[in-house]
Amino acid sequence: MSTSESQDIEEATATIAPGQPDDKTRRYDRQLRIWAASGQAALEASRILVLSSSATSTSILKNLVLPGIGHFSILDSTLTTPADAGNNFFLNASQSIGKPRAQEAVPLLRELNESVQGEAVIQDVKELLSTDQGKDWLRSFSIIIAHNLNNDVLAPLSTLLWANPNGPPLISVRSAGFLAEFHIQYHEHSVSQSHSENAPSLRITRPFPALLEWARSLDLQNMDPTDHSHIPMVVILVRALDEWRKSHDGSLPKTAAEKKEFKNSILAMKIKLDEENFEEAEAQAWRVWSEPAVPSDIQALFSLPPLPTSPQHNSTFHALLQSLSAFVSDPSGPGTLPISATLPDMKSDTKNYVRLQNLYRAHAEVEKTKFKEIFAAKYPEIAKTTNPDEVDSFVKNAHHIRVLRGKQWGALDRDREAIVNSLTSQPRETATHLALSALSNLLSRNAEVTIDALNAEVLSTVGQDVDLPEELEAAVGEIARAPTADLPNTAAFLGGLVAQEAIKVITEQYVPLNGYCVVDLIDSWTGVIN
Amino acid sequence: MAAAAVVNGTASSSEWEGRYYHVDQILDRSGPRTDPSFLAGDEVKEFLREKCKILVIGAGGLGCEILANLALSGFKDIHVIDMDTIDISNLNRQFLFRQKDVGKSKAIVAAEFIMNRVPGVKVTPYFGKIQDKDEDYYMQFNLIICGLDSVEARRWINATLVNMVDSDNPESLKPLIDGGTEGFKGQARVILPTVTSCYECSLDMLNKPTAFPICTIANTPRLPEHCIEWASVLEWPKVHGDKKLDTDNPEHISWLYQVAAARAKEFKIEGVTYSLTQGVVKNIIPAIASTNAIIAASCCNEAFKIATSSAAYLNNYFMLIGTDGVYSYTFEHEKRDDCPVCGGQSLAITVNKEWTVERLIDMLIERQDIQVKKPSLSTPGKQIYFQAPPQLELATRPNLEKKISDLVPDGGEITVTATTLPFNLSLRVKYT
Ligand SMILES: [Zn+2]
Repeated sequence: MSTSESQDIEEATATIAPGQPDDKTRRYDRQLRIWAASGQAALEASRILVLSSSATSTSILKNLVLPGIGHFSILDSTLTTPADAGNNFFLNASQSIGKPRAQEAVPLLRELNESVQGEAVIQDVKELLSTDQGKDWLRSFSIIIAHNLNNDVLAPLSTLLWANPNGPPLISVRSAGFLAEFHIQYHEHSVSQSHSENAPSLRITRPFPALLEWARSLDLQNMDPTDHSHIPMVVILVRALDEWRKSHDGSLPKTAAEKKEFKNSILAMKIKLDEENFEEAEAQAWRVWSEPAVPSDIQALFSLPPLPTSPQHNSTFHALLQSLSAFVSDPSGPGTLPISATLPDMKSDTKNYVRLQNLYRAHAEVEKTKFKEIFAAKYPEIAKTTNPDEVDSFVKNAHHIRVLRGKQWGALDRDREAIVNSLTSQPRETATHLALSALSNLLSRNAEVTIDALNAEVLSTVGQDVDLPEELEAAVGEIARAPTADLPNTAAFLGGLVAQEAIKVITEQYVPLNGYCVVDLIDSWTGVIN
Repeated sequence: MAAAAVVNGTASSSEWEGRYYHVDQILDRSGPRTDPSFLAGDEVKEFLREKCKILVIGAGGLGCEILANLALSGFKDIHVIDMDTIDISNLNRQFLFRQKDVGKSKAIVAAEFIMNRVPGVKVTPYFGKIQDKDEDYYMQFNLIICGLDSVEARRWINATLVNMVDSDNPESLKPLIDGGTEGFKGQARVILPTVTSCYECSLDMLNKPTAFPICTIANTPRLPEHCIEWASVLEWPKVHGDKKLDTDNPEHISWLYQVAAARAKEFKIEGVTYSLTQGVVKNIIPAIASTNAIIAASCCNEAFKIATSSAAYLNNYFMLIGTDGVYSYTFEHEKRDDCPVCGGQSLAITVNKEWTVERLIDMLIERQDIQVKKPSLSTPGKQIYFQAPPQLELATRPNLEKKISDLVPDGGEITVTATTLPFNLSLRVKYT
């Protein structure tokens, strides 16, 4: 078949079946429904470095190559052992024994997704850490993931990356047998698209003029009964509250009795028993007393002290955040966050619902313009260079923005008070974390891993006079049982968890882990130490 | 080593010294939380690698991961069932499949891939439905892992395994490990049929599927979804008659998309896209490799612990939510005494004595803990209402208008059957 012929067929099918997505969209369909084209673009622009090609490392990479990161490098100077050939799916079984492990793994990972580039770097991270060139190379990635890197090497690596606020986040993963943990190191991580499942405020208590006008204009007693049963609940609530305020000196229902009375006033508006729109309004009456002008977690972000080590790429986010604060306190503004253009479904007919939706949409546009004016006035330089899509996305998600501030890897172990408190408040998580840290210290020194040696390491971290929880015995005993076991199921479990957090960090969507995530696959739990 | 001797005859590459270095650290000695009955050493390895037979139901997002994990863990006799063929939209997570495999059987391609990659492992595929197999088939396995997205199929295997339990034969109790995911969320659980809570016991934990009332779709559309439902539920049969809508046919989806888009335009509703059309009519659940990896690993880890007794296993439910940090919850889901599958009692329902049979049927359809689509009702002595065959439907139709209390006495029993229900549900009626 000639090229032009196949093109003709393609065009012909396109006219038969319009709207059909291309192959790439079809391949990624199930994930695009989670992080959309913007998340996909961020993934495709990412360059990821993984230290070691252990079973856990290749499991993590598998879950990053499949969704389509841009590029990965595996840094590993070791040769495949018989043990590696037995537990790692991304090696050619016994045929790989004796060959460089990274080199064996790369092609088997790349065949998962043709659009992903990958390379094996057969070098030791210690060498790279000792030269400026090596350090620059390490800092050039979007994110670095290290599995079972002993503390003597992990410590300088984490220090190098922590010293530069713009350096890549570091995910350090440690596992032994059924137990594992991982930590994400970043100074600050901001999220505008957290995909929160909580619906934003409909702003019933502060209706914008067009909405209030609609609510007031209704002649509830004399209007057509069909129209009456199609008034959207938002309009009903605004109307009911307007009337309530007139008879209560402008205040909202406060006490339980008042709230009940308010609800009854909504039901009293019904002209027929089965008007579902009024029942819906009554059920949604909580919005009148439970929707603050600004949610407290967003309010707290307004007074977040600036971080000297805040990464460069967060400066736009902070400018937007301060502009949001200015928008809220602007006397000519609504005194709230910009209104959301998205309405939930509600009992109504097409005409009324679409009218309401258009009102919200138009007003959201007005407030967004206002926001942009404030942003441009406050931060003229940043505003000029910021992608308008980023501003739109920020305003659209203003009700759910998040800022996370992290700690350096290992900081917890150096803070004796924090670790002792953590032992009391989260004994099983902290005990498991301490046991894994102790293991790494012993392996760094090539010391024998015994229960006594592990316990001694733990005591040197927490202090001799601390009461140790019984959970420590369970964790230490399990680690002494299998100190160097990279179990296929633990590796796969971590492969999923770590890749998921890396994806959230790279896409800046959803909310990633802050601190350590500890995993126990005997009792099948996970927990987080901040 | 006993295990090595058996497989060794074939080729030196299918078994090698040190192959199980990692797993053997667990199997050679016990840990502080290991049951005293654990037989560390050769005996447990021999059971795992030579005797244990495991069935994997589903070779999709979870199934691919499960097969790889089991093979690396040392299970050597693995069977897999899947009725599906490979689609391009599977390739973002079902990592045993490539572009060239599109259209082929998932079970067969997955089995071949595993056998090529992990020497000495036998994977036996079956390209078909779980319902094709009988109790004798399921009886041959020590363990069953289920990675399905179909509620109906999971109810079927659950009910089948509960029914198979014979108290005189301990071998008849087959542990069922079930996993499921949606986006960044998922769950894994261990079901010991008749002993722990079963799949049916927790049916009410499922999200209720969004159903749009026909009158909204027909008269007062507000959302793009309403326009899409209009195109698929009302317009398709009207225009195409008996031609069945095939949601895997892109031309059919395109037709729906255009019709829905035109309706949306007429009503000034925004947001109808091809992707949304496909999502609504196929009820697409977002899915990614990482969540499947976590849940599949959890399932296989429980299978490994049960098969080897090397550590305590999950009792009995692990739930993961990865949208905001890493949150998980491990708990014991309680058995329901009135579970229609494992409870051994009939389900007590309270009914207004004025209700018609039709009203009772509507109530059954709505109940989240029953989830039945077209139920037929009967009592031990008579037929109340039958959905099929047509003659019987016609004969029993007049009963729909009758009061249920005129047909069944207070405290009487009604048997509910339906094609979507893998067992006969027995109801005990009480009138108010
Ligand atoms: Zn049950």
